[in-house]
Parts: sequence; structure tokens; C-alpha cells
Amino acid sequence: MSVILVLDDSATMVMSLSHILKGAGYEVETGMNGREGINKLGEGIKPSVILTDLNMPELDGIGFIKEARKIAATRFTPIIVLTTESGGRKRDEARAAGASGWLTKPAEPSQLLSVVKQLCPAK
Amino acid sequence: MADTTEANERLVCAILAEQVSTLRDRMDASTAFDLLWRTSALLSWLSGLLGDLSRHNANTTPVLERERAEAIAEVAEIRGELDKLAFFQAQRQDFARQIADCVVTALERMAVAEMPAGTSFSSGDLAALYVSDDQRKLHDAVVQRLSS
Repeated sequence: MSVILVLDDSATMVMSLSHILKGAGYEVETGMNGREGINKLGEGIKPSVILTDLNMPELDGIGFIKEARKIAATRFTPIIVLTTESGGRKRDEARAAGASGWLTKPAEPSQLLSVVKQLCPAK
Repeated sequence: MADTTEANERLVCAILAEQVSTLRDRMDASTAFDLLWRTSALLSWLSGLLGDLSRHNANTTPVLERERAEAIAEVAEIRGELDKLAFFQAQRQDFARQIADCVVTALERMAVAEMPAGTSFSSGDLAALYVSDDQRKLHDAVVQRLSS
């Protein structure tokens, strides 16, 4: 089963995203900030897609993307930023750090699944 | 006199920061979301069960089959709407929490005497705390309204 790593400092968002992705047939790993995300990758989790918020404590989304791109296993893993930020500057910053795509909240479950399925069909 | 006024303002900011912080903590609706998701999962399970029962029932009739198909379609539609509602509400709550976080941080900074005398917490300092375009648009609208 394909694994999706979800990073968000909002417990409700993490639960909501997990519910939608699990319902579509994905296995979900979660973290409450970028540091937890890096720790998960260090534990050997190999996500097919990573969904991350930008504004998180300890290590934010941009910091996480930069660190994840230094790890061989996730150098080319699609990383989708899911955030309330829709500004061009932040978007450019995320893209420069290595983000593959962008979804602005509020998004609909169908939008989320459409992006994830394009990158990784559920097995 | 000015010192007393400043001390009072700091006290008010500190109290307001605590109050907004309490309000933010009370925004947690995880129990309601949990119930929505459990309902959605239950509907999915019931839908599958209806299909299984139908397959194992040799005495089914065209009317029963039609009603089963209609019920499954209705369940699927309601389930989709529940998922959409829960996801949308979760995002709205997240956004409201971020705005509350910003207000708490601003009030906390205004409550402590960490700025040099004669300076104050500016609207630019406040704007630096924003995490969404919606906050920036609201900020710009207020600045424009008050300066016109």
C-alpha cells in the first residue's frame, strides 16, 4: 500500500487528512511539525507523497523540504504544500526549497485526492 | 503619569492575551470531527453490508434490489458530503486558530516592556506575524479604511 506522510501542527487537520487518504486506500504516517517528519524519514519510512503545512513550530515546512531533499530516499519524492498561504513569495520560496506542488486551504477532499492520485495511484 | 498609563496598557494587553489564548484552546472541536468521521466510516461499512446481504439472499425481489441500490447511492452521497463538511470545517478551525495565535502573540509582545522607550508595536510588526493572504487582505482593508 502506498504511504503518504502528512505534516501539520493542527491535530484536527492531521486527523481530517488521514481520514480522507485512508478512505481512498492509502496508508498514512503523520507528524506535527517538520522535525517529526524528518524523524519519520530517519526511521525508514518511504512515503510515495508528502503533504506538508508551511507554518509549523520547531521546523517549518520550508525547512522540512530543504532537509528532506538532502536525504537520498526523498530527493525526488513529490512534496505538496497544503497551506493557508497563497502568496507568490512563499510559493516561490517553497518551490526553490524543492516543493513539487501547492494546494491552498480551504481545499476540497476531491482536489486533494486528485493531486495525490496523479502523483501516486492508491494500490 | 505616563508610566502609570503605560503599565496599565501592558496589564490590559496581558489579560487580553490570556483571554484570547483561552478562547483559542476552546476552539478545539476534535470530538465533533471524530464523530463525523466515525459516522462516515459506519456508513461505508453499512453500505458494504447491504451489498453482502443482497448477494447472500436468494429470495430477493426486483423491488428490494432497487431499494438497496437507492439506499447505497444515498449513503455514498451523504458520506461524501460528511467528508467534505468535516474537511472544510477542519480547515476553517485551523485558520481561526492561526488568527487567534497571531492576536495572542501581538498582545503578548505589547504586554512586555521589551521595546525601547518611545517606540511601539507597529502595524508592520503585526503584519510580520501573518500566515495567510486572508490576514494580509484584512489588514490592508483596515489600514486603508482608517487612513481615508
